[in-house]
Amino acid sequence: MTQLGFNTEDFQAFQAARQEPEWVTAQRQDAWQQFSQQQWPTRREEEWMRTDIRLFKLDKFFIPSASNPDGLDAIVPLLSEGVTLGGAVHSHNGVCVEDTMSDELKQQGVVFGSLDSLLGEQSDLLESVLLQRAFDREDRFAALHAACWTGGQFLYVPRGVHVEQPFHVLSSLSDGGVDLGHTIVILEDGASATLLAECASTSEEAEGLHCGAIELILGDRANLRYVNLQNWGQRVWHFARQKAVVGRDAHLQWTSAAMGSRLSKVNQHVVLEGQGAQSQMNGVLFTENKQHLSYHTQQYHKQANCHSDFLYKAALQDKSHTVWRGMIKVDEGAQQTDGYQRNDNLLLSNNARADSIPGLEIEADDVRCTHGSTTGKVDEEMIYYAQCRGFTRKEAMRLIVTGFFQQIFDRITIDSVRDALGLAIARRVRDYE
Amino acid sequence: MAEYTKVANVEDLDSSGKTVLEVEDRIVVLVHVDGGFYCLDDVCTHDDGPLSDGELDGCDLICPRHGARFDVCSGKAKSLPATRSTISHEVKVENGEVFVKVSEDI
Repeated sequence: MTQLGFNTEDFQAFQAARQEPEWVTAQRQDAWQQFSQQQWPTRREEEWMRTDIRLFKLDKFFIPSASNPDGLDAIVPLLSEGVTLGGAVHSHNGVCVEDTMSDELKQQGVVFGSLDSLLGEQSDLLESVLLQRAFDREDRFAALHAACWTGGQFLYVPRGVHVEQPFHVLSSLSDGGVDLGHTIVILEDGASATLLAECASTSEEAEGLHCGAIELILGDRANLRYVNLQNWGQRVWHFARQKAVVGRDAHLQWTSAAMGSRLSKVNQHVVLEGQGAQSQMNGVLFTENKQHLSYHTQQYHKQANCHSDFLYKAALQDKSHTVWRGMIKVDEGAQQTDGYQRNDNLLLSNNARADSIPGLEIEADDVRCTHGSTTGKVDEEMIYYAQCRGFTRKEAMRLIVTGFFQQIFDRITIDSVRDALGLAIARRVRDYE
Repeated sequence: MAEYTKVANVEDLDSSGKTVLEVEDRIVVLVHVDGGFYCLDDVCTHDDGPLSDGELDGCDLICPRHGARFDVCSGKAKSLPATRSTISHEVKVENGEVFVKVSEDI
């Protein structure tokens, strides 16, 4: 099997092998041209100042073009355990390997499945939206994704339809694998749904690349609960562009958890573009060894009377490093905005580092926008107190870390997600003297 | 245990200056000063940014952003705003070739 590199000749071969609508072909070509002309970001740019990608070599990887089932049996989903699902999509090394959906939901007009396979059938619906409505092709990673995405998932819920059963998306990588998956969710006016997305590697040592994007589009009065667990192995490069646009009186609850990857650079934006729109963004980050996770978030209030609530918590071990750079942006007409952002960091070792940079950019004059950030170590007195009651130091540390994240867990209304995150974090905690 | 890795030929390096290298999956800066070779992690411990763009002043490498000074021989931080040493790696020169042994992480 010939492997296709990230060069113009192989890109043309990749595109020729895909039978896609003309508008997709044109979109890919345009993005490839941008990719070819741009340079990788450098640390001279504010956004990349704290994130070093000099060791990232794209030529070590290949465009996902054929099924590669290596290690598929080793992948165990965490979020879907014990949950009755409305549908599930699993892609492995960038190619869909499982695609199921309930017949009952199909009859209600709900569409869910691999974006690759639905692209032709749903071309009319996607043409004016895909990679446009909630996607910014700003840098070379975004251009690479737009040109070469494969696999992916598409969820569409028609007007007024409420889907109770969650949908589940799993993306996995084996050693040397590449995932360029694109997730797009469209909820029409008054629709509601829950989507659980997670990613995993076949082993911690498996090297890989994820360069993906998420588009969440909520119509007026729509309601989406979206959970995203980034659980790659610790040799995966993770570059992601995630954006939601929220309509009038719609509500988005977006919970992100990140524990994996060697280096992550994530842009997560929410645009409140209808009056009365609400968003709640929850984040749980747990890092260890030499992991580097960089999150750049934006809560963009474009209309009046919108509410955004942002809470990210990170616990760091070993020599790991997190960066959070958050912005609340308020347009001139977005009066009566209520915006909040907070980032708390718990340093579990002396060599971990957390950079926290909140920001406000406000053009309206009748708003309430607040932000805050805390960074601290585990209080030895708390450990002593727990030890006096028979806990070992490690157990005490686990209790304290779990307690630190409890504020986020309390916000998560899906039991399987709360349990999976709690367990995954507790397993990773080590004790430090 | 890390071994010495050949990184350059002496004749390819300037009589004084800095060279950025990738050794064993990390970025280091090799400094050639006063006839000696020294190797540091390309990281300023103040802001985690690269040191290699900075100027050399004798045996000090000065961070280009905030002016922290690091001793190229030991990696020791010699001035604020850096307070912690950057990691220093062993260097040896044999038969006109420069070798680096990457230090274990602290």
